Amino acid sequence: MTKLPKLLIIDDDAHLRESLAEVLELDGFECHQAGAAKEGIAAAQKLEPEVVIMDIQLPDSSGFQICQELRKRSKTVILIMMTGRFLSSEEKKQGFELGADEYITKPFDLAELSARIKQLLSRNASKG
Amino acid sequence: MPTKRRGKLAYKILFGFLVTSLAPMGLVGWHLINISQASLRKETLAMQESLAVGFADTVQKYVTTFKNVLTETSSLDDFVSMNPIKQQQSLNRILQIHLAVLELSVLNEKGVETLRVGRFLGPNPEMRDFSKEDLYQTAIGPRGQYIGRLERFQGLYPTVTVSVPILDPRAQPPHPVGVLAARISLNPLSTMLAMEFPSTGKSQAAVVASDGFMIAHSDPKEIYKPDARMPDEVLKVVTTQSNDRGGGELPLPDGRKLLAAFAETRDLSWIVYVQQPVEVAYQSSDEMKSQIMKVLVWVVLATVLLSLIVAGHITAPIRMLRDAADRLGKGQFEDLPEVVTTNDEIGDLAQTFLGMRESLKEKTGELIHAKQELEKFTKFLEKRVDARTRELKAAQDELIKKERLAAIGQMAAVVGHEIRNPLAVINNSIYFIKTKLSTGQEPDPKIAKHIKIIESEIQQANGIINEILTYSRQRELKPELVKLNHWLEELLSVYPFPPHIELVKLLDPADPTLSIDATEMQQSIRNLIGNGIEVMPPPKGGKITIRTRVPEPGWVQIDIGDSGAGIPPDVLDKIFAPFFTTKARGTGLGLAVVRKVIDRHKGRVDVESQVGVGTTFKLFLPTV
Repeated sequence: MTKLPKLLIIDDDAHLRESLAEVLELDGFECHQAGAAKEGIAAAQKLEPEVVIMDIQLPDSSGFQICQELRKRSKTVILIMMTGRFLSSEEKKQGFELGADEYITKPFDLAELSARIKQLLSRNASKG
Repeated sequence: MPTKRRGKLAYKILFGFLVTSLAPMGLVGWHLINISQASLRKETLAMQESLAVGFADTVQKYVTTFKNVLTETSSLDDFVSMNPIKQQQSLNRILQIHLAVLELSVLNEKGVETLRVGRFLGPNPEMRDFSKEDLYQTAIGPRGQYIGRLERFQGLYPTVTVSVPILDPRAQPPHPVGVLAARISLNPLSTMLAMEFPSTGKSQAAVVASDGFMIAHSDPKEIYKPDARMPDEVLKVVTTQSNDRGGGELPLPDGRKLLAAFAETRDLSWIVYVQQPVEVAYQSSDEMKSQIMKVLVWVVLATVLLSLIVAGHITAPIRMLRDAADRLGKGQFEDLPEVVTTNDEIGDLAQTFLGMRESLKEKTGELIHAKQELEKFTKFLEKRVDARTRELKAAQDELIKKERLAAIGQMAAVVGHEIRNPLAVINNSIYFIKTKLSTGQEPDPKIAKHIKIIESEIQQANGIINEILTYSRQRELKPELVKLNHWLEELLSVYPFPPHIELVKLLDPADPTLSIDATEMQQSIRNLIGNGIEVMPPPKGGKITIRTRVPEPGWVQIDIGDSGAGIPPDVLDKIFAPFFTTKARGTGLGLAVVRKVIDRHKGRVDVESQVGVGTTFKLFLPTV
C-alpha cells in the first residue's frame, strides 16, 4: 500500500479546518490540522507534509510569513494560500515570490481543489 | 451768451493802477489847479489895480489939461492988462474949444468978480465976491493954483472949479493982479468910464473924492443922482488904506463878495475905484478849474477804461488757464479752452499747465486702465474662486462619496470575509455529504434536490459578496488603448446571450480608440446587458441593441438598449444609487458600479426610458 500524501491545514476556524480535512481525506489525503501559525510551523517540522493549505489571515501571524518560513525548509512542499477577501495583484505577486504555489478563495470548489493538488503532487513526483 | 467775467485779478490790477498812478497824479493836478487858480486871481486883481491906476492918471491929466489952459490964458499980455474986452475974447475962445468948461470968471486983486462968461448964463450976470473963498485965497496965495469946490451943476453934473492967479510979468517979483477961475464939467470922466466899463458888464468903476463925493461913475444912472455918493462901507475901506493903490476881496453885508481895486490920483486925493463881483472876476479861473476838472475826469475815465482793458488782456490767459483747470478738475481732458502761450511768466505757467495736463491725462489713463484691469482681474478672480469653489465642492462631494465607499468597502471586506468562512464551511460540509451519499446506494431524490438547492444558494450568496466587494474595492485603474469596435465585438462574442434575446449591433465605422480599464469597463457593459436580458424574460424575449457613434470630436457614445417594459420616471432618477433595486434578489449595485466606472473614466452616463417601449443607457466616453 502506497503512503498517503500528508496534508497540513492551518486555519484558526476549527469548522473550516475539519470540514476541509474530512473532504480531502475522502479524496485520499492524510490530513493534519493546526489552529495558529506557531503550531502550524511546528507541525510542519514534525510531519514534513507534502502539501500545506494555510489561511492568509491568522491570529498570531500572516500566512505569507509561514509560507516564507516553510519554503526555506523545503523546496518541494506545495504551499496553497486561502483567503476570504480579494487580493490585489501586488499581494498575489508578493505571495508567489515568497514561495506560494496557488491561491484559493473561500468558498472553494472542492473537486477542483483536489484535482489541482493531485496535479501538483504528480508533477513534483515526476521531477523527484 | 455767457457773460465774460473779468475776474477778481483784473480788478485787483485795476485798483493797483489807480492807487499807484492816478492818485499821485490827481494830487499833483489838484495842487496845480489851486496854484494856477491863485495866480490867475492875483493876475486878475493886478489887472484891475492897473486899470484903476491908469484911470487915476487919466483923471489927473484931465484936470491938469484945464489948469494948463487957464495958466496959459492968464499969462497972455492981453489978459494981464485986465482989459475986460480982451479978456472976454480969450474966454469965449476957451468956451468954444473946450466943451467941458461950463463957466469962466475973472476976479480982481480983491477977489471980486470982474468978468463972468458961461454957456448957460443970461445977459448981465451977477458979479460975486469970492474974497473969502478958497478958490481966491489959495490961487492968490503962494501955491498959485486951486482945484476943488466939487459941486453939482444945476444939481446934476459934477463939476470942479480950477483957479489960477493972473500974474503981472513986468513986476519983480511977479505980482498977481487977479484970478482966473473955471468951472469944469466932470461928465467926460463918466463917459470915459462908461466906455471902459460898459453897463452890460458886471464891472463898475467910480471916481470919488475923499469925502465920498461921486465925481464919476461908469454907470450914468449913478452919476446923475443929486446925492450920488460912494457907499460908506466901501469908502471906509478905501480911505483907510495907507497905500495910494491896492485891492482885494471885499465882503459885503449882504454876503456877496466883490473884487475891488483902487488908486489915488497924484495931486487931487481923488480915488479911482474899480469893482466887480468875485464870480465875474474869478470866472476865468473857475472856468479853468472846471476845464481841468473835466480833463481830469476824462483822464480818470480813460485810465479806468484802459486799465480794465489792459488788466483784462493781462488776465485773459490766466482766466483761460483757470477755466481749463476747472474743466481738468472735473476730469475733462478733451475740448479744453485753448491755452494761449505768451512769451512771459503767464506763458510759462500755461506751458507748465499743458505739461501738467498731459501727465495728468496720462496718469488718469493709466489709473483708468489699471482700474479696468483690476475689475477684469477681480472678475477673473471671482470666476476662479467660483470655479474653485465648485471644484472644491465636487472634490468634497467626491471625497465624501469615496469615504463612504471606503467605509462600505471596509465593512464589506470584513463582512465578506466573515461570511465567506461559514460559507466555505457549509460548502465543504455539503460536499462531504454529497460525496458520502454518492458512494452508498441511490439516495433519496429529495435529499439530492435539497443538496443542489444548498449548493445554488451558496453560489448566490458568494455572488452577492463578490458584487459588494467589487463595488467597494479601492482599485487603481489600469487603462489600456483599445479599438472600440474590436473590443466590443470580442466582449459580445463571449457573452452568454440566451436564445430568446436578439442582439443588434450598430457599430460606427469610425471605430475610435479609447483608453480604458478593460476589466472594469467590461464589467459595466456586462451589467447593462445583464439588466436588459433580465427585463425581457422568456417566452416573449426581446432585442438588445448595441450602438456606437461619435456625437462630437473627442467623444464616443455607446448605447445599450432593450425592448423591455421600461422604467417609470419616478424610479428613473434613483436607479444609479447604490443598493437601490427593484429585483426580488439583487444587491442594487449593478448600475452603481456602471456609474462609478464611467465616472472614473471621466465620462458620463444617461438613461432614456419609455414605459412599454424600452430603456436605453447611453455611455459617453472621451476618445484618445
